[in-house]
Amino acid sequence: MTLINELGLHARAAAQVVREAAKYDARVTISREDRDVHADARSILDILYLAAGLGKEVLIQAEGADADAALSSISDLFARGFGEL
Amino acid sequence: MSKVGGVIISHGQLATELLSAAEAVVGDINQIRAVSIGWHDDVEAAKGEIQHAIAEVSLGAGALLLTDMFGGTPTNIAAMFFKEGEVEIVTGVNLPMVIKLASLNREITLTELAKEVEQQGKDAITRAGVLLEPQKLRKDA
Repeated sequence: MTLINELGLHARAAAQVVREAAKYDARVTISREDRDVHADARSILDILYLAAGLGKEVLIQAEGADADAALSSISDLFARGFGEL
Repeated sequence: MSKVGGVIISHGQLATELLSAAEAVVGDINQIRAVSIGWHDDVEAAKGEIQHAIAEVSLGAGALLLTDMFGGTPTNIAAMFFKEGEVEIVTGVNLPMVIKLASLNREITLTELAKEVEQQGKDAITRAGVLLEPQKLRKDA
């Protein structure tokens, strides 16, 4: 996914991701492959360390019982620019 | 699940503002109180406030006191409450430490939590220029 909102993956956006990830029985990882940094989607502080600003690419991966649902709802957050567009 | 409570203790309004900033990020935080000690406040009054806050948040699992600066009055007063397994103190509080404490949702002992929050606080201090430069970055380097 590409970060399309002006502020990128900032604190409140990261908090939205964490809240969404917590709804599912799945282990969700968000990665910046260009920097080989991986974040647990349930940790705000992890996500903030991705330092993913506007235009940056992240890879979202999920495994577990609800992996598909988690992936689709979290991808949707990114696609909607966390409601900030 | 019994959760460890927290009290942020600082000079001036820093504690209150750290807590509101953390709430702006993670939403309402119930198990953390802020005690701001005015520059001219009476030590006894400050002690009373901290004691009250500890009693409010430590529901069986203990309380972690986060203070602004080692050696400062807030830390020195907080230190009077140290009791192994019941009240721990970590100095040099920053926003990531408050967020870490607020978002912790698993069973953990007070001592382990104090260690994790201390480490989180240290990890959160970075030369951002180095972090943001793609080629040079190694998070754990």
